[in-house]
Amino acid sequence: MPRQRGFTKSGVYRQSTENINMERESAAFLELRQIGFSYPRKKSAVLNGINLNFDREGITAIIGPNGCGKTTLTKIMTGILRPTNGDVYLEGRHLQEYTLAQIGRRIGYVFQNPDQQLFCSSVQEEIGFGMACLGEDPSVIAERVDFYMDYFELSSYRKAFPLHLSYGEKQRLAIASVLAGEPDFLILDEPTVGLDSYRKKLLADYLNKVAELGRGMVMVSHDTAFVSQVAERTVVLGNGWIQQDSSSSEGDNSHET
Amino acid sequence: MKLDPRTKLIMVFCITTLAIIYNTPGRLFLLLVGTCGMLILFHIDLKTVGGYLKPYFFLLLILFLAQCIFTPGGEVLLRVGSVNILGTRGLILGTGVVLRLLIVVAVAILLTTSNSRDFISGLVQWKVPYEIAFMVSITIRFLPIFRDEFVNVVTAVQLRGVELKQVPWAKKLDLFKRLLFPVIYGTILKAQQLSIAMEARGFRAYARRTYLRQLKLSFADYAVMLFFLTATLTLIGMQVYPLRFY
Repeated sequence: MPRQRGFTKSGVYRQSTENINMERESAAFLELRQIGFSYPRKKSAVLNGINLNFDREGITAIIGPNGCGKTTLTKIMTGILRPTNGDVYLEGRHLQEYTLAQIGRRIGYVFQNPDQQLFCSSVQEEIGFGMACLGEDPSVIAERVDFYMDYFELSSYRKAFPLHLSYGEKQRLAIASVLAGEPDFLILDEPTVGLDSYRKKLLADYLNKVAELGRGMVMVSHDTAFVSQVAERTVVLGNGWIQQDSSSSEGDNSHET
Repeated sequence: MKLDPRTKLIMVFCITTLAIIYNTPGRLFLLLVGTCGMLILFHIDLKTVGGYLKPYFFLLLILFLAQCIFTPGGEVLLRVGSVNILGTRGLILGTGVVLRLLIVVAVAILLTTSNSRDFISGLVQWKVPYEIAFMVSITIRFLPIFRDEFVNVVTAVQLRGVELKQVPWAKKLDLFKRLLFPVIYGTILKAQQLSIAMEARGFRAYARRTYLRQLKLSFADYAVMLFFLTATLTLIGMQVYPLRFY
């Protein structure tokens, strides 16, 4: 039975699956057209004429030097920032037609700084927050929270205050919290920062499993070994332009400098 | 208008004092209009004030409602059964509290137009102990950080799929109550980390600090300070001893 458009008991908006299926007929899941962005009171633009398409499946890595606009681009893709020029389309609809919550239910976003996205009083609550707000059954929430705590080795911190954890633990918690919501698409900004090699491998394995389930993702990373392990496509950003897109054979997405 | 940070501190002090002393919505509104006019003179976009206030809109609303409902007296405007819900006194006080907060937030934006280092050196030149001057500047620095923390949390909550605008009021209250603690605690943790970083970099290692840059008060600074202090004292005098025309 399709979900009804309206409010759940927890007061959370839900769109009917019929509408979602209709929107899924469009080609690219996320489409960026001529994106340009400048921060207020800054003369030079951070991003210029970015054209990118992301399919529902596949792992794309965005790489580039510090300050080249990678994080800004991901924030534009999730609607946190509005582009100065150009348009973003999610499932064929302009991103401005969605609220942040509607975007969040389709795209899971792991911030570069985990402190920015941890807001609950315990690790357990943090992982289950999104599901609880979406009105999931408590037994389902408990099961999924246990799974993610176990997978990301956070079980011993179940009742701990998230901001008291180490950087690596906070990073794992932020990733677990987003993955627990099981969004269609993931955007991960520097997901390997603070992780040791064993946990990086665990994360790579998990992301590959998520990708096998038909969920796409974009990751921003400086970790070339990690990128080569998981990414099928690599976009190189530099000076606000796309320098190279490994999947684009025509070269219409690239800008040589 | 380019003014010394100490002049801006005096201006903020005068306007905040008036905002505390005034207790009628009419006068507070006039003070708010004056403050906004002053911000325009300093080329500050009033949308910035709106941006600062947006995350606190909910808090302002609660304050307004609490003042309206829990302050009895005056003519009854709304009554449910035999219980008086809203009176004119509550409405006046509620409006006053909201206007007062708007004035304080608006005038505080003036402080963001100067470098925090200039504030410290200005205050030290006025013989304020360095530690206290530094604390003042850190407080000013932490206000936008606290706001950003709250904005980040609200964004993160929405990105987890919560449609804040659609959440019923009772649940929204509960949600904000739960979110406020981590935000405040996170800010305290940041303050703690900052103090450790300061100690590690030799804060108070030497009894006396010297400064390369010395601030100088210009004629415009003295004129503005004199005007604000005189105007504030006059307005306070008029408030305490109102003129009577017989």
